[in-house]
Amino acid sequence: MPGMNSGINISDPTVVAAFKAALLHQGLIALLIFFMVGLAWLGLRAWLPAASGDAVTVSRPAEPAWRQVLRIGFGIVWLLDGILQAQPKMAIGLPSQVIEPTAASSPHWVQTVVNWAGTAWSFHPMQAGAAAVWIQVGIGIWLLVAACGPLSQLAGLVSVGWGLVVWVFGESFGGIFAPGLTWLFGAPGAALVYAVAGALIALPARAWQDRRLGRTVLGGLGLFLLGMAVLQAWPGRGFWQGTAHGQPGTLAGMTSAMAPTPQPHMLSAWITAFTNFDEAHGFAVNLFAVAALAVAGAVFLSGRRRLIGPVLAGFVVLSVADWVLVEDFGFFGGLGTDPNSMLPFALLAVGGYLALASAPAPDQAAAVEPAVTARAEASWRDRIRVAATPRTLASTGIGSVAAIGAIGVILLGAAPMAAAQANPVADTILAQAIDGDSAPLNYQASDFSLTDQNGRAVTLASLRGKVVLLGFLDPVCTSDCPLMGQEFRQAGQLLAADTSHVELVAVNYNPLDTQVGYLQAFDRQEGLNTIRNWLYLTGTSTQLQQVWHAYGLPVEILPAGSMIGHGDYAFVIDQNGHVRQELNFDPGPGTQATKSSFAAELTDAARQLLGRS
Amino acid sequence: MSTSRLITAATAMLATAVLAVGCGSTSPHSRGSAAPVSMTAASLNTSVATAGGTWATVVMGGAASQYNNFWQLFSRPAGSSTWMLATPPGTADNGGLVVAGGSQFLVTAFRPSQDLTYTPLIQTGDGGQAWSALSPLDAPLASTPDALATPSASGTMMALLTDGTAEQTAGGSASWKTLATPQTIAATTAGRSCGLSAFTAAGYTPSGVPLLAGPCSKPGTAGIFASIGGTWQQAGPQIPAAFADQDVAVLRLTRVGGQLVTLLAAGSGHDVSLLAGWSADNGGHWTLSPALPLRAATMDSASFGNAGAVAVMAGGRADVVSGSGTQWQALPALPPGTATLAPVASGEPEALAVAAATLTVWQLVPGASDWTKAQVIHVPIQYGSSG
Repeated sequence: MPGMNSGINISDPTVVAAFKAALLHQGLIALLIFFMVGLAWLGLRAWLPAASGDAVTVSRPAEPAWRQVLRIGFGIVWLLDGILQAQPKMAIGLPSQVIEPTAASSPHWVQTVVNWAGTAWSFHPMQAGAAAVWIQVGIGIWLLVAACGPLSQLAGLVSVGWGLVVWVFGESFGGIFAPGLTWLFGAPGAALVYAVAGALIALPARAWQDRRLGRTVLGGLGLFLLGMAVLQAWPGRGFWQGTAHGQPGTLAGMTSAMAPTPQPHMLSAWITAFTNFDEAHGFAVNLFAVAALAVAGAVFLSGRRRLIGPVLAGFVVLSVADWVLVEDFGFFGGLGTDPNSMLPFALLAVGGYLALASAPAPDQAAAVEPAVTARAEASWRDRIRVAATPRTLASTGIGSVAAIGAIGVILLGAAPMAAAQANPVADTILAQAIDGDSAPLNYQASDFSLTDQNGRAVTLASLRGKVVLLGFLDPVCTSDCPLMGQEFRQAGQLLAADTSHVELVAVNYNPLDTQVGYLQAFDRQEGLNTIRNWLYLTGTSTQLQQVWHAYGLPVEILPAGSMIGHGDYAFVIDQNGHVRQELNFDPGPGTQATKSSFAAELTDAARQLLGRS
Repeated sequence: MSTSRLITAATAMLATAVLAVGCGSTSPHSRGSAAPVSMTAASLNTSVATAGGTWATVVMGGAASQYNNFWQLFSRPAGSSTWMLATPPGTADNGGLVVAGGSQFLVTAFRPSQDLTYTPLIQTGDGGQAWSALSPLDAPLASTPDALATPSASGTMMALLTDGTAEQTAGGSASWKTLATPQTIAATTAGRSCGLSAFTAAGYTPSGVPLLAGPCSKPGTAGIFASIGGTWQQAGPQIPAAFADQDVAVLRLTRVGGQLVTLLAAGSGHDVSLLAGWSADNGGHWTLSPALPLRAATMDSASFGNAGAVAVMAGGRADVVSGSGTQWQALPALPPGTATLAPVASGEPEALAVAAATLTVWQLVPGASDWTKAQVIHVPIQYGSSG
C-alpha cells in the first residue's frame, strides 16, 4: 500500500522522544483544562447562589443498570485504548505495523480507503499519534463522568462516531471483507461493538425502561452469533483441521502467530499449549466453538430470561477464554491498541441481559412511560431556556463539569491533528529522524562556474540575492539521487510563489556521465523540467571535481557494476552567498512521507532565510 | 483558512483519527504462483564475437531482490587466450548489460533498474580499458540481448524499447527518433505476410541496412525485416517444409564478421526446435542448420562466435554449430554454474561459470570428453552499493 509506511524505524529515538515530549506537553495542557474548568465552576458556585425554587427543576430518571454497565465498561475500555495509544512505537508503528497488515488481505477498495488514512497518519505521526491518545482518553473520561443527561447521550454519539472511524480505518472494517473471518479472532471488529454500545448509551431516557430494548440487543447479538456459528462450521475454511499438509490449521495458525508477541512467558505458554491442543484436536475444538456459538445465539435470540441467565454466564466464560487463549489479550507487544473484541462482546451481552431483566413488564412500562416522557420532553425545552443562566451553571454537578473537561481533552488532540492534516506536506520530524538536524552555519560558499541543463553558463555568484538550495546529484544513480530529485521537485512546487527569490540548484555528481543529455534525461525522469527555478549543472570532469572538493564531498568510482560512490548532501545558501545549513540528505527509505518531509525541510530552510516563517 | 481547507481538515481529522484500536482478524496469506516463463526467451547471459575479440555478459553476485545482482562484462581480446573483467564504470548495472559491437568499438547499454528509467550508454575503443559516455537513450531498453545494434563503422545506433518501439540515432548528440513499431511494419506488405506482433532483435546488415525481427503469427514465416530505401521488406530465411505450419520466432539476430547470423525457434509448447541461420548477402539468401529439438527444455543462453558459430544452452545440455553447412554438436555436461558459452576463435567453445563473485572459465580441449578449468577471475563486487 503506497504511502502508508513511512519507512522509519518504529522505535526511532528522535521520533519516540518527540512523541513523548508532545504527549507530556499536551498532558499538562489537559490537566490545565480540567483545572480551569474546575476553577470556573467553583467560582460560579461561590459567587452565585445555586438555582432553586424559581428555576425550572429538571428531574431525571435514574440511570438503569444496563446503561451503567455499558457506559462505565466502555468508558474504561476507551480509556485503556487511549493509554495504549501512548506507547512509544505507536506514532510511527501504527500505520505500518497494525493498519497495513490488517488491510493486506482485504479487497483492493478496502486497502485504498485504509491507505488514505494511513498515509495521512504517516505524514503527521506526532499529531495523529497524540490525537488518538487524547480523543480516546477524552471519550473514556466523558463516558465515565457523565452519568445522564444530554452530555451523557452526546458521549454515546461521539463514541459511535469515533468507533466507526476506528473500525473503518484502523481495523479495515474489522476484516469482514477479508478471508478467514471468525468470531474467535475478533470479527466483526472490536470498534464496531464500541459503536453499538455508544448508540445504546445515546438512546433517550424514554427508551431506557423499554423491555424491547433488551430483546433487541440480545436478539441482534444472537442472530450475529448464529451467523458466526455457520461460518465457523463452513467446510473448506480450515477450522475443522488441527493441521493440514503438515502445517497448522486455520485456528492453530492464527494462535501460533500470536505466541511470539512480547509478553509474560506464562501467557505465551498458554497460547502455545492451546495451539498444540488445537493441532491435536482441531475437529473437537471447532465442534465446541460451533456448538457454543449456536447455543448462545439461539438462546439470546429466543429472549427467554430463564434460559439466557446461565447461557450468558457461559458466553462470558467463553469470551474470556477466547480473549486469553486465542486473541492473546490484544494489547501486548508495544503496538497493541486495545483489549480486542471479547470483553466488549461480554459487556454488550451483559448489558442486553440487564436491560431485559430489569425493565418493567409491558403494562407497568405503559404506566411509567408517560411520566418519563413528559419529564424528558420538558427537560429539553427547559434546559435550553435555563442552561445559559449563571445560576444553572453554578448548580451544575461535578460530573458535568468533568465531562466538559473531557470534551476539552478531545479537542486538545483533534484540533492540532485537523490543522496538520490540512497540510499535505509531511512533518520535518521524519527527515530529522533519518539524518538529524543541521547546526546553524555562516561561511562563504565556494563559487563555481558550470553549465546548466540547457547549455548556459551559470556561476554561483550570479545567483547572489536569492536563496540557493544546492544539492549534488548523479544523473545515472539508481536509488538515492532520483529520490532526492523528487524531493527537490516537491520543494520547488512548495516554493512556487518564491521562484524569483529561490533557486534550486544541483551539481552533477558523476565524473563520467557529464554530458548535458544526462541532466536532461534525469530532469525528465523526475519531472524537474517543470520547475522554473531549477538548475542542473555540469562541466568537465575536472571542473566538477573542483566543485566537489571545494564543498568537501568525496567521490569514488567503484568497480564491477556499481554506481559512483558518493554521499547525499544539500546546502542552504543565503542571499549573500553564505552557507547557512549543511543538510545530510540521505533520503532514507524514500517513501511518500519521507520525500515530502525532506521537501518540507528544504522549504522551511528557504522560507526562514526569506523571513517567511 | 478557506472553507475547502476547513472541510479537508475536518475530514482528515475524522479519518486520521484513524487511530487507534486496530485489531481486526488475521487470515492466512494467499499463495501466489510464478508466471510461466517462455522456454524460448533469450537471456542477457550471452557472448558475441567482434573484430576486437569476444565479449561476454553474465550476471554475478547475489539476490536480485536486494539489488546485489551485478552484471559483468568480460573480454577476451583477439589473439589472447585469457579473459579480463571489462565492466564499464559509473553506473549501477543491476538491470542488465546489453552490448553492440562495431569493427573497432563496443557500445554498452545499462538497462535501467530501481528508480532510473532511461538507458545510459558508454563506449570503448580499446577492448574495455577506457570508456567514454555517449548521450543516453531517454527510455528503458528492452530486456533482450539484441536490443541494441550498431553498424560496423558509423556512430548510428538502433535500440528496442520496453514499450515495443524501435528507435534510431545518428550518434553524437543527435536525438533518438522512432524508426518503427511492430504495428507499422505489420501494416506493410511484407509485414502482413508475417503478422508481426513484437520486436525481439535489432541489427544492421554488414552494409549498414537496419534490421528488425520478431515472432510471426503466420505459421512458417521468419519475421526479419530490412529497411531498404525507407520500405520494410521481408529479409528472413525460407523456413523448411517440416516447419511450414509451425510458429516461428526470431530469438537472436546479430552480425558476425561479414555475415548475419540468426537463431530461430520453430514450434510451440513442448515441441520447439532451434534453427541457426547464416546470410552472407545482407539477408538476401540464408542457409539454415538442421533442427535442434529443445525437448521441452528452457533455453538458458545463446551465444555467437567467430565464423558464425552458434552455441546454445538449454535444460542443462549444450550444443554448438560451428557455421553454415555444419551439424549441431552436443557438448559434454556443463560445469556447475555455467552462465553462457563463448565460441572463441580457437574453435571449441568455452564455458563461463559463475559462483557469486567468481567467474571460472572452462575450456574444451579438442578430442577431450570433459571440461578443463582454464582461468578463475574474482570480481570485486560491491555488495549493497545499489540497495
